[in-house]
Amino acid sequence: MSRISLKIIGQSGAGLLSVGEIVTQALVEMGFDVVADREYPSLIKGGHSCFVIDFSKEDIFALCGNVDVMVAIDKPSMEAYYKDLKDGGIFIHGYERQFGIKKILEDMEARGCKTVYVPTRETAISVGGNILMQNIVLVGMLWKVLGFDYKFVQEQVEKKFASKPKLLELDLRCLKAGFDAVSEMLEIETPEKGEKKILIDGNHAIALGAVHCGVRAFYAYPMSPSSSILSHLANMASKTKMLVKQAEDEMTAVQMAIGSMYMGTRAFTATSGGGFDLMTESLSLAGIIENPLVIVVAQRPGPGTGLPTWTLQGDLNIAMYSGHGEFPRVVIGVSEPTDCFELIQHAFNLAEVYQTPVILLTEKVICESKYTVERFKQNSIKIERGLVEGDDLLNLKGEDRYSVSSNGVSQRWMPGSSEAYYFANGDEHWERGELTEDAEKAKAMQEKRMKKVGLIKDALPEPIVYGEKDADISFIGWGSSKNVMNDVVLEAAKQGVKVNYLHYSYVMPLKEEAAIKFFKENKKVCLIENNFTGQFGNFIEAETGLKFADRLLKYDGRPFFVNDVLNFIHGK
Amino acid sequence: MENKDVKKLGELSKEYMQFETPEVFTWCGDCGNYGIQNALKRALALEGLGRQDVVFCYDVGCNGNGSDKIEGYTIHGLHGRVLSLAAGCKLANTKQKVIAAAGDGATFSEGPQHLIHAVRNNYPMVFIFHNNENYGLTTGQASALSPCGSHRNGTPGEVTIPPLNPLQFVLSLGATFVARAFSGEVSNLTEVLRDAINHDGFAFVEVLQACPTYNKETPDEWYAARVKDVRELANYDRADIWQARKLVEDVGDDFYLGILYEDKNRVSFMGTQKYRDGVSTELVEEVKHYDISEFLKDL
Repeated sequence: MSRISLKIIGQSGAGLLSVGEIVTQALVEMGFDVVADREYPSLIKGGHSCFVIDFSKEDIFALCGNVDVMVAIDKPSMEAYYKDLKDGGIFIHGYERQFGIKKILEDMEARGCKTVYVPTRETAISVGGNILMQNIVLVGMLWKVLGFDYKFVQEQVEKKFASKPKLLELDLRCLKAGFDAVSEMLEIETPEKGEKKILIDGNHAIALGAVHCGVRAFYAYPMSPSSSILSHLANMASKTKMLVKQAEDEMTAVQMAIGSMYMGTRAFTATSGGGFDLMTESLSLAGIIENPLVIVVAQRPGPGTGLPTWTLQGDLNIAMYSGHGEFPRVVIGVSEPTDCFELIQHAFNLAEVYQTPVILLTEKVICESKYTVERFKQNSIKIERGLVEGDDLLNLKGEDRYSVSSNGVSQRWMPGSSEAYYFANGDEHWERGELTEDAEKAKAMQEKRMKKVGLIKDALPEPIVYGEKDADISFIGWGSSKNVMNDVVLEAAKQGVKVNYLHYSYVMPLKEEAAIKFFKENKKVCLIENNFTGQFGNFIEAETGLKFADRLLKYDGRPFFVNDVLNFIHGK
Repeated sequence: MENKDVKKLGELSKEYMQFETPEVFTWCGDCGNYGIQNALKRALALEGLGRQDVVFCYDVGCNGNGSDKIEGYTIHGLHGRVLSLAAGCKLANTKQKVIAAAGDGATFSEGPQHLIHAVRNNYPMVFIFHNNENYGLTTGQASALSPCGSHRNGTPGEVTIPPLNPLQFVLSLGATFVARAFSGEVSNLTEVLRDAINHDGFAFVEVLQACPTYNKETPDEWYAARVKDVRELANYDRADIWQARKLVEDVGDDFYLGILYEDKNRVSFMGTQKYRDGVSTELVEEVKHYDISEFLKDL
């Protein structure tokens, strides 16, 4: 076996997180490629939640959706999730009152699943621990079942409880007791030790990318699943000295970002769909005053409060079309942490060079899932400010700010840095920003701004094709679809099906030529998109006149699993 | 304004005139905005501030239509949001003076939350609160400050909902600088603005102003007959918030002008951001690659 999927289930707040973290980190130390997603309800404590960990010695980017091994912490979560274990899978639990889960155990047996049971609470107590430490007993059992070297998991438990030596001793006894109580069941191919990858979630990567590219202010109002960007930046502030400010609402956050960018620093905000709705009037303002602006929109399913802790690609339309009036904008979709780290840096360059709003879309499954990725490369993306600096400031005239004779991108400079001043005017204006309602001038200024759309489009990198030519079936998508499609290309090849995938990191302006070419070169091109209406698909069809052969859509709050796509390919 | 300042202003014609606009004014003939703009230019000239030293932030409203009528760096944003925009400007570069302006509609209906938090955060900037008790730009609708019994476009009969008391409200939030002026008394307003500019914190300056077109009930003469200088009050201590709160409660017959309350002890926003202690640069000067090795190490 090379690819394994684990599902650890329990009530929210029942210590599930520690189990997931210990196991994930131990796998990373062994050199495995890992994708770890936490599913949880929008509650503080209680409710079912789970930790899904896929790992392989090969590079993986998504969850497969087929659970090989399930670890259950309590009965309510067993009832909620037991059916997710695949036929013939391994069910590890420590629930002592077995008559209470008779139905579940019978179902397991009927489906050929192997049950591994140790009375975990009793075991924990027998070695001097308490009932809460049953989690650690389960970790020991799992590790043994996987057939891995004890030292890797021991190291992680030691690391986790390093600051609590008394607890650590008991936890280690529980771990060992669990490990010794069961036997090895799986033979998993282990990776050769290469350079250790980092394990990181998408929001953390966005925060690090922002810090790295010289962002000096962050303003936000908390909203899942964007909130951890605020936490990460706040946690780093004592070192980075970045101004991190929780604003009174989303309108404030975006206005402060606009103000700080106007003055000439790098600032941004992050929110989710509902918060972004509140920001869109400001988006339009940034459009007319040609102010750089970067907004991260972390998508979760709407409408309304929707499913606050689940995932969707449902806010592409508002990213592309929100805000009154017409103005240029860039819409970018990230896929995994490396993308997050790099694209946030490009977002700032584009916003500053083209003096217009950039919306960086991410998704819950990217925000909070952890992925193993290569250590981030620093200084590989140049900081491009598009600002007039130095002696050039001496030769400016106020009219240069919005000069219509420019190629669309007129000169921008920090307020106060030159004797030549200008008005950043939300009313339609002429070249130095003075208000005008003159028809010819209004037309010329609108055309000047809209010229930037073409410039940006030409400057954007081409979308990338994954997989080989002459595919049996092809897909086009954006955002997290890249992750699942990367895995699908490999898995489908093992099944003898050739799949390729065209990925758009930059969604707007659309490089439609790439789609046209892809349609020409492939016999069956389908859309893959994590929403109901196929927003990106509709956009491509409208821009190119092409028609997708079929559409793979999903909108239940869960991300695409590898199996979803394989089933679609096989017509299931 | 003292005589010596008037004399001094005479010598500062260049400093005053640098802000003078070539654009055509679009305010009504007797609008209070002329007096406010005049006082602002005087205050800047007297404080030695030039066009490169200040950023003017305008809300949407009659005052906002002045955003290109003063020569300098200006930003004209959205209705109700100017305080957030101005705060973002100020924090990015605290060396620039930031002067924001908005009317009673923007401040007390469209965006009072921004006022609350601007006061609470004590962002160091001047806020000129234009109070003409109606929505002039949209043809005279009622604001949250229109008095009961007044007649406003769009309100059947007369205004029957009691107005808010803006100064009482701001004082209740723990403001560090609260002043009131009248657009018809330019000298007094100039003095107030000079002190506001020099205040290290959020300086709230209410300016009572007539709206000759839509607020016929309280023209300039009406205000002129009622305004008094707070300095004429015996034993008035502007560091005493309870005296200030009592004073602003007594509206109707007398409007006391001047600096009604000032707290010189509280630090302004940047001083509260302890993690930036010891940093002498401005955010606008800090944009460069930051080495994240120390953070990658922990992953």
